[in-house]
Amino acid sequence: MIVRSLLVAFYFFSLSSPAFSQIVYEFENSFQEKRFYELISEIRCPKCTSGSIASSDVPVARDLKKKVYQLVLDGSTDEEIKQYVSERFGDFSDYRPALRGANYFLWFGPFIFLALVLAIFFVKRRI
Amino acid sequence: MNKLLRFLIVILPILILVFFAKVLLIDEEIKFSNFEKKNFPVFQLNDLQGNQVKTESLDGIKLVNVWASWCITCLVEHPFLTKLSNNGIEIIGLNYKDTDAKANAWLQKHGNPYLFSMYDPRGDLAFDLGVTGAPESFLLVNNMVVGHIQGEMSQSKWETIFLPLIQKARQDL
Repeated sequence: MIVRSLLVAFYFFSLSSPAFSQIVYEFENSFQEKRFYELISEIRCPKCTSGSIASSDVPVARDLKKKVYQLVLDGSTDEEIKQYVSERFGDFSDYRPALRGANYFLWFGPFIFLALVLAIFFVKRRI
Repeated sequence: MNKLLRFLIVILPILILVFFAKVLLIDEEIKFSNFEKKNFPVFQLNDLQGNQVKTESLDGIKLVNVWASWCITCLVEHPFLTKLSNNGIEIIGLNYKDTDAKANAWLQKHGNPYLFSMYDPRGDLAFDLGVTGAPESFLLVNNMVVGHIQGEMSQSKWETIFLPLIQKARQDL
């Protein structure tokens, strides 16, 4: 009796398992699959505070994953896919924003700052 | 030399503080002031009555508002949108990931500030526009997206972000 009720409980428990809520992505080869999972962890979810679309299940992240999946199957390159996303959702969507315009400050600002601090440090020591 | 160093040591942290304070405190203005104009995406959608939406209906100065019957914040901005439409602002709805029955019932219940609403149940056009959720609003001038507001529209957002753009567009047209 106990075993049976446990089995019933287990049955209902397994129904609610996350496996049922996941969308299954099928690929032609493991290379595509690897690229897909790399890409979705490199594209920022527009709706979340600095999470990737891989980490989120909000509708827009779901749509983005579906789109990235299609583009990977269609044979688009990583660059093309990121370009496609940033055309729609802005530079914000890429964890590694393109090297142009104000983004130069983003990339090199910290190094310039570090160089300045080091310069001050060494000059100061000499005095 | 020593004086210059001391000056630098004092001034650098102040500059950094000012820089971050600026970014953090007026992020909204910065975020939207350098909005890159882009063409409104090509789309093929019906309105909520089932008639195909013509691209020409987006000419002129139009406000495109993303809404849905499941969207609670849309109810918050609804009175303000109604006020705008009463003041002669032409608003076009983009009904997002909704069903037409629920959307039409919602309009019936709360009133309809829209000229018409494009029906986008899968969110295709919304995706191409870069919509992250509802509500969001886009300002269109002759089929060009010139402004974007995420979250609910309010008097202050309207006045600081969209109104200057509209005044500029009216001068140019």
